[in-house]
Amino acid sequence: MLEIFKLVFFNYKFFTLSVIIFSSMVITLLLISEFIFLEPYFVTHIPSGSELGFILIVVLSTLSALVIPMNIFRISHFKNSKQKISGSIFGSIIGSAAGACSCGPIGFAVISTFGSVGATATAFLTNYEIPIRIFAILILFITYFTTIKSLKTECKVSF
Amino acid sequence: MNKKGGILGIIVISIIIVIVASMSSSNNETFDVDMTRTHGSISTALGSPILGDPLAPITIVEFGDYQCHQCYNWFHNTKPMIMRDYIETGKANLVFVDFAFLGKDSPKAAQATYCADDQNMYWEYHNSLYNSQESKIDSGWANSERLKAFAFNLNLDMELFNECLDSEKYSKRVQYNSQQARDNGVRGTPGFFIVDSDYNQTQIGGAQPFSVFQKILDSMI
Repeated sequence: MLEIFKLVFFNYKFFTLSVIIFSSMVITLLLISEFIFLEPYFVTHIPSGSELGFILIVVLSTLSALVIPMNIFRISHFKNSKQKISGSIFGSIIGSAAGACSCGPIGFAVISTFGSVGATATAFLTNYEIPIRIFAILILFITYFTTIKSLKTECKVSF
Repeated sequence: MNKKGGILGIIVISIIIVIVASMSSSNNETFDVDMTRTHGSISTALGSPILGDPLAPITIVEFGDYQCHQCYNWFHNTKPMIMRDYIETGKANLVFVDFAFLGKDSPKAAQATYCADDQNMYWEYHNSLYNSQESKIDSGWANSERLKAFAFNLNLDMELFNECLDSEKYSKRVQYNSQQARDNGVRGTPGFFIVDSDYNQTQIGGAQPFSVFQKILDSMI
């Protein structure tokens, strides 16, 4: 596993991609979930009772930053199927969407634009935020291990 | 002649029905508030009663939804410190204005607070809603039966409360308050405006920590 890790992330392009994915995802999700505020002052805080939500955001962002570059590496080097990258992107998107609506500006915009349909969708994503994020993390974990396995096999064949 | 009399009778009865209906409808909309009450750019006339000293130099206007979990976070994490350091000391007061947009039970919950206000129990009822909030929107925790149960637990006159809630007496009041939020650029809950005696106002979006409020309030005192 370590060799695969070195193979992908010792390449500066994939390392940079990983850093960009992690930082953009974690900052966006922490802003949306109100763990970071930019106005009127820059401030960070984790309200009591929201610790699990914070941990899930960090885990989701970390896994996305690992799985997406690994799959891009696999596709670019071995010209293989794109099935696993769709799994990783799907996992990242549903994990990000969960809780993104809630009572903040995104939720307000969705409800204002789509009316009762938007309200139902927002309520669903808010009500099941934690289970949806856990499900997304599970998808990313499965994609991570299948990618590692597939890279091991492909590398043995190639090198 | 009889035919004409019959038609005339129907017309008279119809007019009486219309007049009675419009009178009962206008009775539903009548409530005793100071329509001139404003804080900065916000008309708080139909918002909550003022919490704290009405003559305090600073007013915190909170726009909130009873089903919003971030409002719950603010109520439990930040508000107690604001109460202790600013409201109970007379440095500031607070007005809650409904921005009921999250679910179908949100406007009803907001209306229920004004039904409790009819019996001078607005803040007690408001607190019981935020203490009883469940994490799921429209899960039934704020449906009519539960809203009546909260009133019962506060020993309110249930006949008056039920009549008020079932008649939707305060429906337009809640709509007016939500429109105030939109008109003042609030794009989510909770949203705050801190207004000083010179009508300078600072907007805060979201359930921000006490340190942010402290910094702004101290700069206005």
